[in-house]
Amino acid sequence: MNSATAHKIIGLLFGAGFGFVLAAANLHEYATIHNMLSLEEFDVFFLMGGAIGVSLPLLWLLERAKAKTVLAGTLTLSRSPVKRENVVGGALFGIGWAVSGTCPAPALVMLASGAGLAAVTIAGLFIGLGLRDAQTARSTGTAVTGDGEHRAMVASR
Amino acid sequence: MISAVLPDRLPWYLAGPALGLLVVGFFMFTNQPLGATGAYVETAKAVRRIPGAVTWRAFYFVGIALGGFVAVMLKDDGFVRRKGYDVLLDPADMNLSLPVAAALIFVGAVVMGYGARMAGGCTSGHGICGTAQRSPASWVATISFMAAAVITTYFVNLI
Repeated sequence: MNSATAHKIIGLLFGAGFGFVLAAANLHEYATIHNMLSLEEFDVFFLMGGAIGVSLPLLWLLERAKAKTVLAGTLTLSRSPVKRENVVGGALFGIGWAVSGTCPAPALVMLASGAGLAAVTIAGLFIGLGLRDAQTARSTGTAVTGDGEHRAMVASR
Repeated sequence: MISAVLPDRLPWYLAGPALGLLVVGFFMFTNQPLGATGAYVETAKAVRRIPGAVTWRAFYFVGIALGGFVAVMLKDDGFVRRKGYDVLLDPADMNLSLPVAAALIFVGAVVMGYGARMAGGCTSGHGICGTAQRSPASWVATISFMAAAVITTYFVNLI
């Protein structure tokens, strides 16, 4: 199997696992996110904390051990310094998240669960992402990738 | 209809660590964060056939929806459970008309998409994968969006 096919299969499987967990925990429903952000119910904060609590130490150990990933060389973690965009973009993201009551991955699950209005969210997300890309293309010509996004791999070792 | 395989809501102490293991597993296969923003960006590029698009992210994008569909189907009332945005329309709750609800959701989503791209990640990318990488940028972005979202929700609740 070539690397491109392997990436597609792994992408599909891990995407499915991710969507499965989100749906199992009801993160695809407006009410869950709204109750979390109203500080009435802390389950989602604990869920995120649990995910970080498991992945942070494991990734730290694997990084120290210079672990080899299956498809893309030695494990490399990103640790970018803080920029103004992280603060301002984060705040805008938070406002939009609170209003639309779902974030990018759960919006996909919401649509898959049969809630048609989620298609509006997904369309809006594509438009918002595109607007920002168009803006950065005009000013600098290159889009910057943050630590949470897909990163271009520099010739993986 | 098969009866419930999954509980109505998987508790956080199972879902959280499961998500954490998926993050680590994904890193150990692809050396990439299990984020959603990048998946939207690459899927948009792949669909428009822009050179350099990371096509496999489109498979990941579709996978999220498929996995979600399977989980919903395994719950007690399966496909009937499409609550989604119902509280917005419910006369006993927020009681918005469909066009108003759709407009609100749309504007929120555009701001969210713009902000995610500007910040370089979203709840999964920065909030879980970035923080787990011990990235200062991700920790700050996460604190920023959490604070903004809690404050905004406070005002939404006043309406």
